[in-house]
Amino acid sequence: MLRSNLGQRIPEGMRDLLPEEIVVQERLEKEILMLFRQWSYQKVLTPTLEFTACVQPDIEQDDSLYKFFDREGRILSLRSELTTPIARLVSTRMRGGAYPLRLCYGADVYRNTSVRHREFRQVGVELVGSDQDLADAEVIALAVEAIAGLGLKNYQFNLGHMGIFSGLMLEAGVDEGTQARLEEALARKDMVGVESWVKQSGLPTRVQELLLRLPHFHGGEEILDEVLEWSERPAIREAVESLRQIYRYLNDFGVQEYVSLDLGILRGFSYYTGAVFEGYVPGMGFPVVEGGRYDALYADFGVPLPATGFAIHLGNLLEQFPLPSTETADILVYGSKAEQIIRQCQALRAKGKRVEMVLGMIDGDVARKMAFQKHIPEILCVE
Amino acid sequence: MTIALPKGKLLIDSIQLLSRIGIECSHVNEDSRKLFYDLPDSKVKIIICRATDIPTFVEYGSADLGFVGKDTLLEENKDVAELLDLKFGFCRFVVAMPEASVPPKLPSGEYDLSGLNHQRVATKFPRVAETFFSGLGMQVNPIKLHGNIELAPCVDLAEMIVDIVSTGKTLRENHLVEVAPILEATSRLIANRVAYRLKYERIQELIERLREDL
Repeated sequence: MLRSNLGQRIPEGMRDLLPEEIVVQERLEKEILMLFRQWSYQKVLTPTLEFTACVQPDIEQDDSLYKFFDREGRILSLRSELTTPIARLVSTRMRGGAYPLRLCYGADVYRNTSVRHREFRQVGVELVGSDQDLADAEVIALAVEAIAGLGLKNYQFNLGHMGIFSGLMLEAGVDEGTQARLEEALARKDMVGVESWVKQSGLPTRVQELLLRLPHFHGGEEILDEVLEWSERPAIREAVESLRQIYRYLNDFGVQEYVSLDLGILRGFSYYTGAVFEGYVPGMGFPVVEGGRYDALYADFGVPLPATGFAIHLGNLLEQFPLPSTETADILVYGSKAEQIIRQCQALRAKGKRVEMVLGMIDGDVARKMAFQKHIPEILCVE
Repeated sequence: MTIALPKGKLLIDSIQLLSRIGIECSHVNEDSRKLFYDLPDSKVKIIICRATDIPTFVEYGSADLGFVGKDTLLEENKDVAELLDLKFGFCRFVVAMPEASVPPKLPSGEYDLSGLNHQRVATKFPRVAETFFSGLGMQVNPIKLHGNIELAPCVDLAEMIVDIVSTGKTLRENHLVEVAPILEATSRLIANRVAYRLKYERIQELIERLREDL
């Protein structure tokens, strides 16, 4: 029976990958994972479906999770990212491991939001159990190398630090609710809202000015000295010095030229606590890499560990690459006797050839036409 | 750099503002059917589209910048950076009802909306309407229309409307009374999140010039 109208479509934000598209995605993923392996990251995989209580990136924020009930009435969700499930995995299964742990993944994530893809491939790393600036520098350098390795041009990374904003909030004595609202407005880049809030806030003029300046600290190491001229508060000084150290390490890694300091980046997921970064590719309206330090997340799972990492939105990057014309096979085999054709095909496959077997009796002209249509370079007739 | 400008009444103000700050584009207009203008002197491309589509063009990065009303921005709820209040295109969101059915007034002088639960609200802005009423602890049924909202109460499609007003003339002509203000809106400069980072210097310079003019 013919499927209903809905039975012939796919939900908004989902996508099919045709042969030439999946070839690109798998190639990119393989290259990136090989690079991660070289940097000693080991691949793990968590379930697609888990208890919502585990996969919520931030329990205090609206989430974009797809939710289901299991038979016992418990709420399950499709993972929307891997950082939180991997924190659960490490806290329960790899507790007491040889820290720091270096883990990586390549998996589909699901987000019930209106923006573009609702299912897409992510590859990324988590470096768990180190609070060193060098750990931050390592993952940032790795992210830059991963994007560079794909052959993309004119990509850029921006690096900021959550500690400067939170230090400023501390200095201003702002309560948590207000801080969360302001952080959310800054993360959304609602500068008009931020400006009108700040001007009515009654905060000291210097704090007001610095808050409004924050999104405009953008450039090289010199902006860090500028921040220190504004405030010498220990929390801010610490964040600035950490950023300076990370930035210098990036020079040693040979990737500093691709990274700008940018104190205006505050990430949407509020689990970030330290250095945060984003990677951009011209022509893509969204950051393609998102990452940073999240030192508080593991404590939520009962195993307080500092951690840092990033994710590359691989699924969104596919459109940047030309689709290859995929050969379906190396050789097309046809003939008149099935058993001979089968034997010939099996022999060729044993030698490592990709072999397409003609099903049925055709003549040479039809075989050539078929080979041409399917981009098969060679034809063999078995008599 | 590509700037998206909205068709309609905001276009003239937008063109004048851009021309004043040195992006000469006074020849741009929506009557010529041309939707795409290249301004090589100022290294700017201008596209003209429907106001409600501007946040989408900017969110996807097809335009780096856009001029758009805060009303549209609230309703479309896209992930874009809102950089500057351009001060023109002032309008107000209001709830309005037919003269014959306005609710009683509270001692404070405001209308008592509490009897309006579960009534129908005709609007171009269902998100704004819902946010406003749920903020009052109320539930209403928004009915999305694309134009001539004032018509809805006259033909019993809805008990009230949520719409933007600038002078109030249209409301009066249709025997509607404003029963509650929702919020005020002006035009905003918005930017694609990535463009705002990748083309920071150029965009920031443009913002400074706009600020000086405003």
